[in-house]
Amino acid sequence: MPTFKLDGKEIPFETGDTIIRAASRQGIEIPHYCWHEGLSVAGNCRMCLVEVKSDRPMMLPILKFDENKKQFLPDSKIKLVPACHTPAAEGMEVFLDKENVRKTQEMVQEMLLLNHPVDCPICDQAGECKLQDYWELHGSKYKRKRTEPVHKPKAVRFGTTIVYDAERCILCTRCVRFCEEVVGDHVLDKRERGNKSEIVLSPGRYLDNKYTLNLAQICPVGALTSVDFRFKSRAWLLRSAVSICAGCATGCSSYIDYDPRTYEVYRIRARKNMGVNKFWMCDDGFMSYKLIQKYRVKNGVIRAAEQKAVSPGDALQAAAKALSEIEGKRIAVVLSAQHASEDNAVLAQFAREVLGTEKYYLAAYGGWKGDKILRHSDNNPNRAGAIRVAGRGLAPTNELLKAAEDGTISAVVTLGPAGEEKLDQLDPLQKLSAVVSLSSNIGAFTEVASVVIPVAHYAEMDGTFVNAMKMEQRFSRALPPPDRVKPAWQTIIDLARAMGKELECGSLEDIRKRMPSAQAVEAEGSNN
Amino acid sequence: MAITTKRVNKPEMDLSELSYVPEIVRGLGLTMSRFIKNTFLPIEKGEIATIGYPENRLTYKERFRGVHRLTHRADGSPRCVVCLCCSTVCPAQCIKIEAGEYEPDDPRFGYERYPKSFVIDELRCIFCGFCVEACPCDAIRMDSGLHMPASTLREHFIFDKESLMAIPGPDGSYQTGNTRHEPGDPTHPGIDRKLGH
Repeated sequence: MPTFKLDGKEIPFETGDTIIRAASRQGIEIPHYCWHEGLSVAGNCRMCLVEVKSDRPMMLPILKFDENKKQFLPDSKIKLVPACHTPAAEGMEVFLDKENVRKTQEMVQEMLLLNHPVDCPICDQAGECKLQDYWELHGSKYKRKRTEPVHKPKAVRFGTTIVYDAERCILCTRCVRFCEEVVGDHVLDKRERGNKSEIVLSPGRYLDNKYTLNLAQICPVGALTSVDFRFKSRAWLLRSAVSICAGCATGCSSYIDYDPRTYEVYRIRARKNMGVNKFWMCDDGFMSYKLIQKYRVKNGVIRAAEQKAVSPGDALQAAAKALSEIEGKRIAVVLSAQHASEDNAVLAQFAREVLGTEKYYLAAYGGWKGDKILRHSDNNPNRAGAIRVAGRGLAPTNELLKAAEDGTISAVVTLGPAGEEKLDQLDPLQKLSAVVSLSSNIGAFTEVASVVIPVAHYAEMDGTFVNAMKMEQRFSRALPPPDRVKPAWQTIIDLARAMGKELECGSLEDIRKRMPSAQAVEAEGSNN
Repeated sequence: MAITTKRVNKPEMDLSELSYVPEIVRGLGLTMSRFIKNTFLPIEKGEIATIGYPENRLTYKERFRGVHRLTHRADGSPRCVVCLCCSTVCPAQCIKIEAGEYEPDDPRFGYERYPKSFVIDELRCIFCGFCVEACPCDAIRMDSGLHMPASTLREHFIFDKESLMAIPGPDGSYQTGNTRHEPGDPTHPGIDRKLGH
């Protein structure tokens, strides 16, 4: 691989790489605002200027202030090149840590902050703002400008999801390029010139595509912020857990940002994973954090006792009692495409070893439209995983209803909140003598179940999703589950124990060893 | 190391000490002299360190960190802009603030936000004063000169926005010496939105 030198360090690069891309691949950040790994090069922020060694450097005539003579005298300086736009070449020598480069960065930084309102105390970006970071790094100087800054529109709603603040904007046009190149929806553009310049919507349009919340994430400053996250918390109060979006079968890598003091989830951010979602996520994925703590099942329910909320342990005992009274072969098991592979693996094992049944079904959500960018037409994160761990074909839930109608089954154990069917379609299940539902959220199954046992949400456990590309992706626990609630796999082991059988899997490691699996794809972490 | 012992003899007592009586009289004399001094002399001349609280009260030092107060702007709204710096720095985690946004026709819309609720749990507070130091807007102060009044009810120690704003400073004013330049004021460093752009 050819290399070039950056501050004396050898940096390997591939053909076609620019200096900044090759450096960022090696983990060296050249200061930048407008450049983004996933977007085209604009080269308008001038923050990434570096010096390239040359035998015949291009000199720029400048006026330099002479301290002794107290006046500006003609001088010259080496012309710098933008690292985002300059292709790397074999044997090139690039300087970043040099007096003239640093001085230029300081001047660019000062220029960008000339008309900036510096309202960090009320800005949602504070704490993860590049202006703050680079001010610490390259400037840390007081503002010299004493005249009135240019005023531009504040808090403009660009749609239902994004607020724009033109005064904070540094006009890097990342948002314009994102809409055009990734979404293919030319809804944003830049108008006017110089310090009057601002980002505007196309006439008659709003930001109404499915990927708008990416803008809040890629905006290097606080110009584009999320309406949902607006004024809710501060970036430094949040902690991130590595997770996978459970919105659809694409399985975008994500971070769950929560407040570690209250364990309240504030937002989901996209995580870089070049194999799956690159840097982006869809709005439904960003907003799916709301379901983590809404419509939760926190107590057990025994329907015979008039929907009385009981402790999860009591519900478990009631379920074990009800299932023990029925012949195992007449009990159907419904795996869930919404739950982790580990949960499904233990439920399948429970069906094999405790019940000995042959009736396997798969509950999966439906009724969602995909697109060609990220949104998969299947809105279940783990359909492939559930089928893989079951090791057999799984019948859809409408066949479960037929079987209940025919009377070939007399009880059912379901995992997950619901299948494709609506609540009024599940009437045949009411005829069964026992419907045991293991669920984290309220859904159609929990409404018809005779016993509901609460289990942990995917954000409350370590687990695996297998996406539509058959990639196994691990996610980690962000929050503790509610009081006395355990992950589904643990609950099923407890259920088997209450029925007098011991499942031979005690830990997550045991389950994972038994799971038929391909190479697990560990998503690379990055904050970009 | 081996344990060593050291012999200590009992102090010898003379006859007057052994008979107790003179010693008791001496002790009672000291007690009575103190009693008379503290009961009949004015407090300043007495040698007693305690005072008859709550009838008598000491004036606290100027920099005493008392109960928090939220300072006002000229129009009576809180100066706080909900940057959450105080609740971030608070080691006792006793401050909980919720932000609200001004209406679009308000001159502060887009430039500032206000606290919808501002709750301090004074039982959890350790009165370190970090919140006052962290505040970039001089919105929270501990110069009220009050210590926490006693109560048997926990709710009395949970101060909300209204009660925090109802506590005056040492000079009786609800504002601070630092003048504010509101957006829209002629003194504000340049907000003239009529110019537009």
